Amino acid sequence: MTDKESDITLLAGGRVESALSVSGLCFSYPDRPNVLNNITLNVMPGERVGLIGPNGAGKTTFFLSLCGVLEPSAGEIVLLGKPVVNGDFRPDVALVFQNPDDQLFCPSVWDDVAFGPQNTGLSKDEVEKRVREALATVEGTELAERPVHHLSEGEKRIISVAGVLAMHPRLIIYDEPGANLDIRSRRRLIHLLQGSTETILVASHDLELILEVCNRVVLMDGGGIVADGDPHKIMGNAELMEAHGQEKPHSLLPHQVPHQYFCHPTIARNV
Amino acid sequence: MNLGLDEYINLDSPFHRWEARYKLIGLITLIFAFSFVRDLRMLLAMVGVTVAIYVISRLPASFVLRRLRFPSFFLLALVLTLPFLSGQTVVLSIGPLDVHREGLLAVLLIAIRFISILTIALVLFATTPLLTTIKAMRALGLPGIMADMALLALRYIQEIGQDLKKMQTSMRLRGFRKRRLSLYGLRTLAWLGGSILVHSYERSEWVYKAMILRGYGHAPHPRAEFQSCHRDVVTLGIFLLIAAGFITGDILFGHGVSALLQ
Amino acid sequence: MHIPDGILPISVNAGGYAATAAVTWYSIRKIKQKENPREGIPKASLLTAAFFVVSWIHIPVPPTSVHLVLNGLLGALLGYYAFPAILIGLFFQAVMFGHGGLTTLGINAVIMGLPAILAYYIFRLRKLGGKDSPKKDGAFGFLAGAVAIGVSVAIFVGILVTNLPTDFISAEVERAAIYTLAIAHLPLLGIEGTITSLLVVFLRRVRPGILDGV
Repeated sequence: MTDKESDITLLAGGRVESALSVSGLCFSYPDRPNVLNNITLNVMPGERVGLIGPNGAGKTTFFLSLCGVLEPSAGEIVLLGKPVVNGDFRPDVALVFQNPDDQLFCPSVWDDVAFGPQNTGLSKDEVEKRVREALATVEGTELAERPVHHLSEGEKRIISVAGVLAMHPRLIIYDEPGANLDIRSRRRLIHLLQGSTETILVASHDLELILEVCNRVVLMDGGGIVADGDPHKIMGNAELMEAHGQEKPHSLLPHQVPHQYFCHPTIARNV
Repeated sequence: MNLGLDEYINLDSPFHRWEARYKLIGLITLIFAFSFVRDLRMLLAMVGVTVAIYVISRLPASFVLRRLRFPSFFLLALVLTLPFLSGQTVVLSIGPLDVHREGLLAVLLIAIRFISILTIALVLFATTPLLTTIKAMRALGLPGIMADMALLALRYIQEIGQDLKKMQTSMRLRGFRKRRLSLYGLRTLAWLGGSILVHSYERSEWVYKAMILRGYGHAPHPRAEFQSCHRDVVTLGIFLLIAAGFITGDILFGHGVSALLQ
Repeated sequence: MHIPDGILPISVNAGGYAATAAVTWYSIRKIKQKENPREGIPKASLLTAAFFVVSWIHIPVPPTSVHLVLNGLLGALLGYYAFPAILIGLFFQAVMFGHGGLTTLGINAVIMGLPAILAYYIFRLRKLGGKDSPKKDGAFGFLAGAVAIGVSVAIFVGILVTNLPTDFISAEVERAAIYTLAIAHLPLLGIEGTITSLLVVFLRRVRPGILDGV
């Protein structure tokens, strides 16, 4: 990862300023009330928070509110020390959409990754530097001149990440980043997330990915936060998970026989 | 899905190397000069210049032949009607129908102009990525809103085209056959079209969110920079001279300024 | 209804470009006067792409099949974005498929685009008279679609027949040519009107917001 200034801001008295502070957040759509119902959440710099929950729990709506795209009906959001104002451009926070095609709107990869930096008024050389760095970080340098519609799903995913990394955000939100990826692309994504120095929020149905990447998990259901804490404790609680439309991840299930003996008779014999 | 345009942009020819803005101005001017021409002798020169340009561009012959397929129906319609319906001098009689010299000449004029212009246009657009061409147009003064719309539309035509194909496959697999014209068939096709429109509309709302999240409108978007060299300017000069030659030649050969007023 | 290159004299082509430039300038001005012009750009652009793709759908009209134009619906949904959208669509068609033409881009934009703007105003009339119903929307959809195509055909036939590089053998033949071309396109009015109507009813059911314009 590239060198970045420390994300930790010390407040008076030596306390660390939170990266994200949400209190009493509420949001309703005209046809759907209480999509977000009194959400309160505090995320410290450098934390990797996984957001799990059934479809319709309000995760995407929550993310759009955090970025200032949707205006909440109640509550306050303070992002990196500044309150979030609806419609403000905050390059320090980035959202990676569930569907890369919704986000990759420029015809070529280079143009798309450059889009964000160009909008922050940087010089041409600085923009070029940012683009090269971002593409290198996601191992997508050779894709620079390609038309976006020639990319595979996995390539689109990493380029959509490059597009936000080029803005040097301090908080990155990933909405279902693992959807539609093949095994190799998924592994590449996990490495990328594990290597990030930014504060990240990751929503995913891929519970194993959450376990590998996140050091904190928030379980959402019905517009509210149901549990918040250690991933193993929360996701290991079968009753809690099942009560909110989830399942205990496979790797946390007790195994009579360890995995490597279970998968292939030849391997089992040779061990 | 292959829209068949950027297929040959990676070949190497003087046209591939000609900087996009100069190429646009030079070849568009030539195309308009061609549309000015009415004299049959100039038409010969037009064919010669067109063939030379196409050969130099290294684009395969099959490419231009493929392109000529669809527009040829219109041309065919004109070929089959104009000689019978227009002109004064009868050169041939086929039963009750008279073939007129002026009609035949008009068809020849149209056909040669059409094929020449289409060929030059092919050289113009198939030797540069369409994306670059649009950026060049922006650099030459195309309004920002038009350029933005063109680039966004270009980006999504492929995706939407694939969505259409998938839906049509699904319809076919569930037994839909469009053979006859019926209200049921029309309604089904309307639903297909409507779905495409709704998906695109909903996608556009996400695209807008993605754009503003990355600062769309926050700072004026820089125009693409083009690097040109002496050779680009000289080549433009040559083509402007050729275009001027066609216009002057056509005027001198007798049609004069009255041709403009026809 | 696209006029290819090579047929029209340069004066008509130049006139077409001049008219297109003027209408485009005016349309962009109207767009910039909106409260949030930028919000409309992704919508208009993606709908431009969508209409481009939808026009590839074959509608069976025995003995052959036709491609729809749908400039009426495009005008109804896009309003003043419709003219730039149609210009862009025509440009792509000429560049990608060789349909229509480059010297005739201006003329073709006038043929397709002006009726689209007319259709926008016709479709807006459905708001008058109070009662709101799918039948009413469908009827205005039919009207917008049929009128747009009708006006397009009229301009197309008028410009083509009067600007061929040769004279008809008599005025009667010229008139006959005009009538034949016009009548040959008449079924199109019915089909475009019907499909536009069906589309409007579908959109009203599935995503009514789209009918309120970009």
